[in-house]
Amino acid sequence: MLIPHPLLGLRDAQEFTYLGDASLMSRPAPEAGEAAFCDYVFLRDNPAGVHRELWFHEQGDRSWLVVTRDTVTHEILGAELASDYARSSS
Amino acid sequence: MTDLTPITALGAAKPAEVSHGSLTLTERPDIGLASLALRKGVTCPEGLPAAGEATDRVFWIGPGQWMIEGPGQADSDFAAQVKGDFPGCSVTEQTDGFSVVEVHSHDGAAAIEALLAKLVNIDPVALAPGCAHRTALHHMTVFVIRRADDQIAIIGMRGYAGALWHAVDLAARRLES
Repeated sequence: MLIPHPLLGLRDAQEFTYLGDASLMSRPAPEAGEAAFCDYVFLRDNPAGVHRELWFHEQGDRSWLVVTRDTVTHEILGAELASDYARSSS
Repeated sequence: MTDLTPITALGAAKPAEVSHGSLTLTERPDIGLASLALRKGVTCPEGLPAAGEATDRVFWIGPGQWMIEGPGQADSDFAAQVKGDFPGCSVTEQTDGFSVVEVHSHDGAAAIEALLAKLVNIDPVALAPGCAHRTALHHMTVFVIRRADDQIAIIGMRGYAGALWHAVDLAARRLES
């Protein structure tokens, strides 16, 4: 499987490690309360289809990526730097 | 005072060198290394290579990060010298963390590309002269720099210098036969 790194082009998926759902990037505010943090830590969507997830280019340039992947076909639809994604979604 | 003899990462008094067919492997303990990282809000100094690229003495290692090479400067305070060239940036000494293996082909690019194809999961043709990538080689993290059509440098962790040398040496030997 190849991941289209936004800076380096297609790179082998073995160079990456997987963290999980990209919604982990939107952490509740410190004063949001226990229930909000409980949801943040334990609740995940489990979609059959398009999913945004965090991958770390560990054996590469060590950047975090937000990869859009279809969980049904495993097709990778795109990837962007997590720092760019955070800036554009905030 | 005790008379100590400096040894290279491979444990010998002199740098290792071996030839298999058209490929020559050379250990380069003389290369001083220092990493350069941009601090928040600092504008990028000019002349540094872009993502995945390398110039004569500098190669890109990550967003806002570069490695500077100083051939013949391993026994000097190379980081201090780099720090003087890039004021306002974070510079860290890396000479003692890495070990450099250079591979030279006496028979053009084909032998180098065949060796790359055996060792790393990067398209050897796309790794043109002036490209540098960090990738995995036998599960070790390495920097691979295409210095020229017929020359690459592989920079790996110093503690794994023996394993890295073994991997490159074995691949070159298998290409010969």
